[in-house]
Amino acid sequence: MLVTWHYRIRKNLMERFDPRARWIFSLTFLVSATVFWDARILAGFFTLAFIWYSIARVRWQDIRKGWYLVIFLLTTMIVVNTIVTGGGAGGVVPPGGHLIWPDPIVFPLTDWKIHIGLTVERVWFALCQVLRIGGISAIFLILPYSMNPRLYGVTFKGLGLSDKFAYSMELAFRYVPTLAREFSTTLDAQRARGYEIERVKGGIFKQIIRIAPLIVPVTMNSILIGEDVTNAMDLRCFGQYKRTWLNELKYTRIDYVLIGFSALMLITSFIVLYAFHFGGFWVPGFFLHWFGK
Amino acid sequence: MFKKGVWKFGTRQVVFAAIGAALYAVLSIATNVLNLPGAGNVSLRPAVAIPMFFGVAFGPIVGFISGFIGTILSDLVSGYGFWFWWDIGAGILGLIPGLIWLLIANYRQFKYILWAEITVVIGVALGMGLAAISEMWVSGADIHTVIYANFLPAAITDWIMGLILVPILMIAFSSVLKRSGR
Repeated sequence: MLVTWHYRIRKNLMERFDPRARWIFSLTFLVSATVFWDARILAGFFTLAFIWYSIARVRWQDIRKGWYLVIFLLTTMIVVNTIVTGGGAGGVVPPGGHLIWPDPIVFPLTDWKIHIGLTVERVWFALCQVLRIGGISAIFLILPYSMNPRLYGVTFKGLGLSDKFAYSMELAFRYVPTLAREFSTTLDAQRARGYEIERVKGGIFKQIIRIAPLIVPVTMNSILIGEDVTNAMDLRCFGQYKRTWLNELKYTRIDYVLIGFSALMLITSFIVLYAFHFGGFWVPGFFLHWFGK
Repeated sequence: MFKKGVWKFGTRQVVFAAIGAALYAVLSIATNVLNLPGAGNVSLRPAVAIPMFFGVAFGPIVGFISGFIGTILSDLVSGYGFWFWWDIGAGILGLIPGLIWLLIANYRQFKYILWAEITVVIGVALGMGLAAISEMWVSGADIHTVIYANFLPAAITDWIMGLILVPILMIAFSSVLKRSGR
């Protein structure tokens, strides 16, 4: 099958929370964690994120692809940030700092010398990035594995989006298996005519043009289906009255606790940052000593 | 066609936004096999042409939702998690070409195809620009990383896809309109 949803019922603690409360928590976590660069605070957020992540009880085999992507992006970012460009991470790390290799490195058997501008501060900044991005990724990576796709529409409606936007989202979820089937049928029909999507010969442009016999019929058929659906919905007076949803969401006590905690986390973060001016980038003394500085 | 206002969001827009999003998701998964020669980790995503084309054909709201929800769906199915700013960026890819929706009289005519191509270029620059810049406050990336590791790889592939596939889809759509008497 071309498309399968990763969600399945796991009967864990996370599923007891209302999806709206979980989105509120996730978004407030995102805002709160991104205002700090102090490793001590980021370590707190990182711990909180993995406690939250663990209650979803998703197996590594299920989620590993997402983590591979996060690790790839994080590694690329850190290598480019700290080793290659050393651009000071958008003004977070102050210019200057303690060079790890103050003397130039000489290539063996040659007189070639290179100066590596890597500083202790930038290495510490890389660690802060791991804590921050790792925490945020854990919070958002777990969402698709622990939230029923059928509840996305009603959840977004419950979060204040319009009926139509939320319904569009719901409809998109329902269309995916239908269009996947349509796509498979078209692919089989084109293959019967000698079409080979897997052929990697030729340049990028040839590959893109080769995809057209697949994209065009699927898209045009979908548009014709869409016209029929629009007419059917108009005949049933869609959008004329307040909408009701098949699945209803109700907040319970633990949802209020989670929302209250989210609000507290956000407010505290802003107070700590703006009233106490605490939470900016900082390198601990032991780390400098560790590098002999 | 019931073109009343560029920001109209009626039944037609609700349905086509959903179809655009679902199409984007399905095509993204299906074309994951297409890799850039010599760049193992970068895959070509021809599906980015879908929000751009749906914007041109059905308006900016449809284009935006196709890209925004489509990316959420495809990441969901692929197991890539939730990347809010990249989802918004993909929405902008469809929103900007959608701004010329009301001006298009003939989807086959060179002038309108050229307008669509220009908006595709601007849309990709803005959408991927926003998504890439978001890495500065989300991940603490510096401007070099944002440009060379985030913006350019995403924008160049999206420009190529959009510039090649959007005109093909526009011409096919023109035939569908003619055949169905719309």
